[in-house]
Amino acid sequence: MDWLRELGRRLCMLIRRRQFDADLEEEMRLHLELREEDQMRIGLTPEDARYAALRRFGNETLLKEESYMAWGWEWLESFFQDTAYGSRAMLRSPALTIVALLSLALGIGANTAIFSLLDAVMLRTLPVKDPAQLILLGKGNASGITDDFARTQLYSYPFYRRMRAENQVFSDTAAMFSMTNDVHGYVEGRAESEPMNVQLVSGTYFGTLGVRALVGRTLNDADDNSEGDHPVAVISYAWWKRSLARDPNVLNRTLKLGATTYNIVGVAPPEFFGIKVGEAPDMWVPLSMIKQVPPNFGGYKDNFSESLLIMARLKPGISITEATANVNLLFRQILISFAGTRLDQENRQKLDKTKVPLTPMATGLSSLRRQFSEPLQILMAVVALVLLIACANIANLLLARSTARARELAVRQALGARRSRLIRQLITESLLLALAGGALGVALASVANRLLLRMVSGGLDPIPLDVSINTRLLLFTIAVTIATALIFGTVPAFRATRLQLTDTLKAGRGSQGASGKNPLAKALVISQVAFSLVLMVGAGLFLRSLVNLNNVDIGFNKENVLRLEIDSSSAGYKAEEPRAVALYQQIEERVSALPNVKAASFSAFTFHEGTWDSGVALPGTKTNEHVDVNHNVVGAGYLETMQIPLLVGRNFSSSDTSTSRPVVIISEHTAKTLFPMGNPIGRHYSLGGDKPEDDVTVIGVVKDVKFQDLAEEPMSLDYMPYSQRPWDYGDFEVRYTGDFASVAAAVQQTIHSIDRNLPITRVTTLDEQVARSFTNQRLVAQLSAFFGLLAVFLSCIGIYGVMSYVVTRRTNEIGIRMALGAGRPKMLWMVLREILILVSVGVVIGVPATLAGDRLVSNMLFGLKPTDPVTLVAATALLLIVAAIAGYLPARRASLVDPMVALRYE
Amino acid sequence: MLLHRDEIPPGTLYLLILKTLARAGEMHGYEIADSIQKISDDVLQVEEGSLYPALQRMLIKGWVKAKWGTTAGNRRARYYQLTAAGRKQLETELSQFERVIGAITRVLQTA
Repeated sequence: MDWLRELGRRLCMLIRRRQFDADLEEEMRLHLELREEDQMRIGLTPEDARYAALRRFGNETLLKEESYMAWGWEWLESFFQDTAYGSRAMLRSPALTIVALLSLALGIGANTAIFSLLDAVMLRTLPVKDPAQLILLGKGNASGITDDFARTQLYSYPFYRRMRAENQVFSDTAAMFSMTNDVHGYVEGRAESEPMNVQLVSGTYFGTLGVRALVGRTLNDADDNSEGDHPVAVISYAWWKRSLARDPNVLNRTLKLGATTYNIVGVAPPEFFGIKVGEAPDMWVPLSMIKQVPPNFGGYKDNFSESLLIMARLKPGISITEATANVNLLFRQILISFAGTRLDQENRQKLDKTKVPLTPMATGLSSLRRQFSEPLQILMAVVALVLLIACANIANLLLARSTARARELAVRQALGARRSRLIRQLITESLLLALAGGALGVALASVANRLLLRMVSGGLDPIPLDVSINTRLLLFTIAVTIATALIFGTVPAFRATRLQLTDTLKAGRGSQGASGKNPLAKALVISQVAFSLVLMVGAGLFLRSLVNLNNVDIGFNKENVLRLEIDSSSAGYKAEEPRAVALYQQIEERVSALPNVKAASFSAFTFHEGTWDSGVALPGTKTNEHVDVNHNVVGAGYLETMQIPLLVGRNFSSSDTSTSRPVVIISEHTAKTLFPMGNPIGRHYSLGGDKPEDDVTVIGVVKDVKFQDLAEEPMSLDYMPYSQRPWDYGDFEVRYTGDFASVAAAVQQTIHSIDRNLPITRVTTLDEQVARSFTNQRLVAQLSAFFGLLAVFLSCIGIYGVMSYVVTRRTNEIGIRMALGAGRPKMLWMVLREILILVSVGVVIGVPATLAGDRLVSNMLFGLKPTDPVTLVAATALLLIVAAIAGYLPARRASLVDPMVALRYE
Repeated sequence: MLLHRDEIPPGTLYLLILKTLARAGEMHGYEIADSIQKISDDVLQVEEGSLYPALQRMLIKGWVKAKWGTTAGNRRARYYQLTAAGRKQLETELSQFERVIGAITRVLQTA
């Protein structure tokens, strides 16, 4: 505690600095006077007495300084001095300061913004108890429902129950439905439905995560132990705030999802968003209610309805390896013992081969992460390069300024200032600049990361990600800022204080010769050019990939198609009921009849919306010869709406009904795969099930279309009519002419005139839907183009600055050359040549760096190679032209030098 | 006579100040310097000014505390006074000093 009291005393002194000086002064004066009187008393003259007193006292100034230094605050004082001095110096050259601050703000701001997104998507751990102990069965990159045997991604509810009861390695185990249910439900007492994002979870979900309710309670195992009779929900804090205005009486309120009314039993804490980064359910409902929550999936007691993710918390001291062994043992045992397991040779082999991997999930799961981790890493590298270029620029500006200050520094050193003290001062100035830039950067980032999030969200509602400025982010920014200051400040500081004193003092203002050349400044410009080339070529490659993606032959006509989604299951329609089919048909007919509408149809999928696939079999083949086909359930007008050309056979018609023979239209690729010989029309195959409607007959073949993403090879697709195969809709497409907004309004009005309670969401165009499939590529292309241009711009400022400086320094030489008969064009060329040499050296260094760097991004490229020569040549040419323009101004200035003035200047 | 701070053994200035204050209770800077010289029969002469940085260091350590008062001649002066920590420090320094002096004396006598 002694050091604390000591610190207190030191701080006290710091606050009363003025008092301290006065006290010391008075005390010393008294001492001198008393000694003087004493000396007079023993007979000295007043004058001698004073000298004697002073002699015996010692050097008063030094002693005062020593007394002050004893308190250990002189570093702070010199820091304040340096800061004040630095601010004054910055204000003296406002143009330089503004350029430096702006480039720093952009550089640091961009780094902060990209890092905030990178952090939110990839690095941040879940806001739950001990997230490092949480693991997931499987890899967590699947969602949906499957009945495949021995899948390791998705599990059935009975499997979860058995795993939880029989394992010896988890302190608790939980399951969640692999998708969220997009329901339109009613808050009790409200007439209008509202969108509610429901996450079905096991009763152990919150307990396993260690999340406690903010209000009320979370779910528990009892909520989940029998099917269909636990209508309870825990709502998210965000939804409580948004929809219920933080009603304190929330536990007495109820919700209606589908036909069932749910009691709200609790509110989750504000920071909790579930375990999927980038998704934030509005509420959590026990899996026991899976059949009641629209779209009424079911499967609570089905051993083979595999739709759940299973996560667990490791018991303390259990390693992942031990847990993996136990889980795999149980996986085998449980699957073999399940009633209804078909243990034929094929399934046995499958079971022998299958191994369940355990995935740590401290940072949660995220489809966002798969999509954006590579783009974000690329962008992080891009903005780091931009910041380096900005640093090189500022280092250059500081170098130029420190050369101008060479005399001041030489004088100070000659007067006895230590070199370390001067370096400290110069670095303090750099830090000051960097901190000001960093503060501006943070302000910029807080705007930019919202913009980024919008870009990442691809035109839909913003993805629920927390990208606001937080402590971790600020620490990152401060680290970046200090690193920046050290990078751009150290070299100029060391150079400026390394002087041959006498030379500098002698040379005076017009110091010539060596300083006219400036190898360090030129090296900086060369590195800027090299970095800029890397960024330009990268940006060029990404932009051209984007153009290629836009020009992909997608197989259907994506222009002039409106698409929206209705939520028929929330409105109470069941796919199997005739009234659902009647509803769809009525909507299609009425909308098709609207003016400016050419065709309209429902479909299970359009593009990039997931899939329903199964292995199909020709009569008489074995299961392992099955071909995997993606199915689409559509309306009769689908091909016409999407303008997918029919190659042979016929389209669906009104005669294809639930009672007629099940029909199918297949894609060209399916036809080639299933029926390599002969005409496929009239042939039939089985969808894998054993019900009569699973045997379908081919009535037509259509052109291949892209289905999941633009880069895919042709896939096997087939189309079936909803009149024969029930489907909950879902997607609705309308081919229109004219104005989108008026057609959209008319279509929605027509749908609501048929059923007022049918929720309509996500009204957009098919074009946008397609574009959303390459949001990540667009993000990288747009941002890298922006930063590439920024880099070139910064490099131009660098070139301009250095060349202006060189020209000023060489005014004399130029004057003499011109006096000796060199023409103006020759002078112009002399300067331009120097710039071109600098840029060329930069390019020569930049090309191999570019080729090496671009190989890392080849995954993000589409339709071209990373070594694409066109992009490389174009970027180089652009860089040369822009550099020549930046250098032209100083070059022109050189050519306009008046020899007389230049020589007189000496 | 030329004065030099090396004339008192290094490190003993604190000890001298502590001891002087312990004896007198309360003194200002001039009195401390004067007292050290007088009691040592003018053998120990500090460079008087160096008292002040030393006093500041002792203030930081909390061995002494200072307050302003009036001298006999009715002038404002800063008076220093030992604290409890100061008294403890005096004991430590004294015993250390005696140990060193004792050792030196023994070496000298054996020679």
